[in-house]
Amino acid sequence: MRWLRFLVGLLIALTIHSLLDGFFPNALAFFSPYVILVAYYAMGGNLFGAIVAGVIAGLVEDAFSNAIFGLHAFSLTVVGYLVAYVTSRLVLRGTLAFGLALAGSVIVSEIVIYILVTILTSRPIEMFEEGMLIKTLITSLFGMLIYQLLVLFLHEEPLDAVRRPATR
Amino acid sequence: MMQVAVERRPTLLFLIVLAVLFLLMSTSQRTRVVGETRTLFERTVMTLFSPVPKAVNQVGQGGLDIYHGYLDMRRAVSENVQLRRRLAELTQENLILRRSNSDLARMRSLLSYSEEFTIPTLLAEIVMVDTSGRFKSAILDRGSDHGVEINDVVVHPSGLVGRVILTTKDLSKIQLVIDRGASVGSLVERSRRQGVVIGSDRGLLSMEYVPNMSDVVVGDLILTAGIDGVFPKGVPIGKVVQTEEGADLFKNVMVQPSVDFRSVEEVLILHTRKIPAEVARYQP
Repeated sequence: MRWLRFLVGLLIALTIHSLLDGFFPNALAFFSPYVILVAYYAMGGNLFGAIVAGVIAGLVEDAFSNAIFGLHAFSLTVVGYLVAYVTSRLVLRGTLAFGLALAGSVIVSEIVIYILVTILTSRPIEMFEEGMLIKTLITSLFGMLIYQLLVLFLHEEPLDAVRRPATR
Repeated sequence: MMQVAVERRPTLLFLIVLAVLFLLMSTSQRTRVVGETRTLFERTVMTLFSPVPKAVNQVGQGGLDIYHGYLDMRRAVSENVQLRRRLAELTQENLILRRSNSDLARMRSLLSYSEEFTIPTLLAEIVMVDTSGRFKSAILDRGSDHGVEINDVVVHPSGLVGRVILTTKDLSKIQLVIDRGASVGSLVERSRRQGVVIGSDRGLLSMEYVPNMSDVVVGDLILTAGIDGVFPKGVPIGKVVQTEEGADLFKNVMVQPSVDFRSVEEVLILHTRKIPAEVARYQP
């Protein structure tokens, strides 16, 4: 069920990706639906699931963008692992917590991408700080809005839906 | 067994995955440099998820088409309304211009006709005309205040209309030449034979006192003779449409008036020189 939710989320993220590419080219430089998806899924606290989710979501993003193939997969895997690691030790609930987690996720993702691009192409990304700031703000706000909508429609804490049941 | 082992060592899995991905990126970067833009793995991922962008594109394109169609329709409706309004304005303007043009042509005709006369003239408009009754008359929009007098002659570029028989301050009544009580001293243009044209109930004019032996044929133009002390000489009255020898000494000559009294709108009033009453009444 959790994987099904992830798959549906991935399809929605890809749909948003396609729509933005069609109507607002370069919008993905300031907003990432994949980070929202991976952060949300990773907040379930499952490290293994978070790594797989990061790899798959990142590869899909790479496949349909002009980035180096594997770049976003790498960064999202790091994001997924870190978020899952933190949430497996801290109890995070609520829209604000999700927003803060998203902001951290975007910053980590952008820093990882910056480092990788610099290593692989020997050319640093221009206006990195400004881009990261805007992307962090927009992605966090949009993610919080989606989270709030999920609260309204699911009538439960959305993070509980992706949290692994406790084993005896 | 394998999954359990992996799940128990997620950090190890994480590092392995990162290493594989870094390798993938390096490979991708190299193939990109030599010209191949997509690796097999990349193409596989794209193929797997390609229905999503395709569907989004189709739906988006359809939505855009509908939206643009709606915009085009609204633009067309708005343009249609504007064009209809413009058409109505232009039609109205055209009617005014045509009327003005027609008025101008008539005025020019009258003005050029008035220049033919050495006597003072006055332009007037017919406000009422009655040619259907027994007494055929018309009302003009000029009266004594404008200098109109009894027995002033009324003409049109096409011919003689009649004479003034009554005036008020701002209107005047004229007896049309086709009235049965009207009589005009006249002559045949070609043969200069004189006679008297009088009105008749049939809408035609009758030329009286033309001897049987005189030279008058159908088609001859009849003009005023200027011998009656009212009408000036040389104004067209009409054309002979019928002529036959009468039982007595005179011919029966029927004349078609030059003027179509039902279509006349503006006329000229000629202030002819009047014969003093005492002279007219004088009998030796």
